[in-house]
Amino acid sequence: MNSTIRIQAYDFDLAAEYELLRQFDSAVGTVVTFTGLVRDLEKNASINSLTLQHYPGMTESLLQEIVDQAQQRWDLIGVTVIHRVGELLPSDQIVFVGVASQHRADAFEAAQFVMDYLKTKATFWKKVDQNGQQHWVESKDSDRTAKERWLRDD
Amino acid sequence: MIKLLFFGRLGDFAGGVSASIEAAEGLTPTIVRDGLAADHPALFAELSQSQVLISLNQMIVGWDQPIFDGAELAFLPPVTGG
Repeated sequence: MNSTIRIQAYDFDLAAEYELLRQFDSAVGTVVTFTGLVRDLEKNASINSLTLQHYPGMTESLLQEIVDQAQQRWDLIGVTVIHRVGELLPSDQIVFVGVASQHRADAFEAAQFVMDYLKTKATFWKKVDQNGQQHWVESKDSDRTAKERWLRDD
Repeated sequence: MIKLLFFGRLGDFAGGVSASIEAAEGLTPTIVRDGLAADHPALFAELSQSQVLISLNQMIVGWDQPIFDGAELAFLPPVTGG
């Protein structure tokens, strides 16, 4: 399986990433892509900007582990994970997960699995600026619950 | 020397904390944390919260993992990426 993991400050091009996944192999019958954007609200208050910190080196290893787990669970041809870091503005693209496989069920489920694990395992931390006040975003129980459903399936 | 890293909100409490400490026989993350209690009580309180994870050389480990000279010890609050 082909996997690409990138952590970068600059934006990504959805169409270009899709093309790469599409062209991995003529056996690719489906490509599922997910793009996460910066929301303009945090706890019902608007944000001016969001800054993402991560743990260089460890983050890449953890993402690779997550992609490897997905590969063991589903029949996949290619996976791309891109996560941006640094300062972002509302509506900016934050995260991309693309999965290429022969059949759609594998790609849909693997993409959700990768996102659910990324949200609860990968070493990223968000800080928001709300009218000049900076504070760290708290983790959400709903994200932990989303991850746990994959454990029940084991 | 042991390199210390504090991520996310923990970094806000770690001002003035030295970026590295001397290696010592029997050192564990628990001992490193407890050693911060006197001079950095707010940081110590944050590090003592149950959701804080630790990594040694970028691998998640337990609080009683032995720490050897040259290691990188990081304190990780709950992650919020994606």
